Amino acid sequence: MTVQKDAQGNEKKFLHEFADFRNQRVLEIGCGEGRLTRHYAHASSLTVGLDSDPDALRVALIESPHEAKHKSAFINAQAEHLPFSKNKFDIAALAWSL
Amino acid sequence: MVHALSEIRRVLIPNGILIDLRPVLDRWTVEVASARATSQTGRVTDFPVGLKDDAAANQAMAESESKGWFIREREEFFPFVYSWDSANELEEWIAEEWEDFVALDEETRRATRSAWALADADARVQLNLKMLITRWRVGGELEGG
Repeated sequence: MTVQKDAQGNEKKFLHEFADFRNQRVLEIGCGEGRLTRHYAHASSLTVGLDSDPDALRVALIESPHEAKHKSAFINAQAEHLPFSKNKFDIAALAWSL
Repeated sequence: MVHALSEIRRVLIPNGILIDLRPVLDRWTVEVASARATSQTGRVTDFPVGLKDDAAANQAMAESESKGWFIREREEFFPFVYSWDSANELEEWIAEEWEDFVALDEETRRATRSAWALADADARVQLNLKMLITRWRVGGELEGG
């Protein structure tokens, strides 16, 4: 099955209109396979993708852009218990996950 | 959900940003589209469980706003199009991925198959999702500390 998602690029366009990811520390909740992550990870200073599906996280890691790999991490966790200290991120994104 | 928002607020810096990006059920339109023409063939039927999920998400954000955790700065809707090579593929996708949330009624199914069969060779079957994006700014002090 060949499914295309958002060929018009609206999601990326609106995401960047709503937040400037340059040099920001970003937490993405519900990152899945990292489709949304790939829209901004090149620009951020740190990207942490969170999801409860370890298989999806493996894909997110593999498909992470080369230039963003050294500053990206993908973690198996739940939004109800974030394994981070206070004031760790500049931006949080709920990616199709609320 | 509200607890998750409290956690998100905790790990964000003061004045940090929360982006909430999600599809909302609104009887998404089904279309058959080629380079030459696009025709709407119907709408999906929304199931109560999906509508309940949307309402719960809205309620959680409203609650966090009322507690002062987040301040709504900007909100917009935009279309997010899924497309497939054929009407069969759309039907398979809905059956496998979204069966709890939406369904195709028989009239829309027939109209879509028919329109796709008669359309140009480059035609694809599309589903127009309604997306909501909201930017929230971290608010003042946490309630109770």
